[in-house]
Amino acid sequence: MTSESLILFFIVGLVLVGGAILFSSYIAPTSTNLQKSEAYECGVPTKGITWLQFNVGYYLFALLFLVFEVETVFIFPWAVMMKSMGMVAFVEILIFFAVLGLGLLYAWKKHALIWE
Amino acid sequence: MSIHELMFYLFSGMILLFSVLTVTSRRILRAATYLLFVLISTAGIYFMLNYQFLAAVQLTLYAGGIVVLIIFSILLTSHITHKFEPIGIKKMVFTIVAVAAGAILTITTVLNYGFNTVVASSQNPDMQLIGGSLLGYGRDGYALPFEVISVLLLAAIFGSIVIAKKEKSK
Repeated sequence: MTSESLILFFIVGLVLVGGAILFSSYIAPTSTNLQKSEAYECGVPTKGITWLQFNVGYYLFALLFLVFEVETVFIFPWAVMMKSMGMVAFVEILIFFAVLGLGLLYAWKKHALIWE
Repeated sequence: MSIHELMFYLFSGMILLFSVLTVTSRRILRAATYLLFVLISTAGIYFMLNYQFLAAVQLTLYAGGIVVLIIFSILLTSHITHKFEPIGIKKMVFTIVAVAAGAILTITTVLNYGFNTVVASSQNPDMQLIGGSLLGYGRDGYALPFEVISVLLLAAIFGSIVIAKKEKSK
């Protein structure tokens, strides 16, 4: 499948779903009141703003996540070529993992994986 | 106009629109969200060029990882709800003049440059080609850089832990 047909598929999906929603919102009777526009998550009205200041812990996890995500990017082409290249590719990825395992070990040792 | 051209103009328009919104938005969290749309549209351009790998990297790393990191680092600061003052008319005029001058300089330079139009041999950079050269150890192989990448990522892990992790005082 070429990318154009994929994109066309995407557009058709968007138009069909969007059209249905728009059409139903156009023909449906509307009734609005104050209660309807409230957030109903857990049934409790929210207090204050939702843009809260986060815990620093999230940032460390996001950084570590990003590093390992970069690692997965390099595993994609490896996984495609693994079968045809055989042992060589396997040894190469073992070295790759060993070096990055040291990083995970370091993170573990420094208690970076513990939520505080 | 073919569908290919249509998609190109659509993605380019999206990139332009959201880039402008990113820099003109007065709330920083909204600017980060607009940046996400810019990155996704760029991935669309890569898909159009049949660069599947690059597009996947763009989506997972930039749209998925970097934007999350940016949003986290914005939410860490205490100025989340800060709304920038609308810029003054004087600043706006000077900015427009500076941007226009830069754009004119760049466009005239690009238009006056004599590009050697040779038709590149169209090789499809699919995953097998990338994987083969990434893991190959022969003439066109990048096996050593591939392993060096892991050392680089290791350094990144060390750096991020040292920076983001607060040592407990003993």
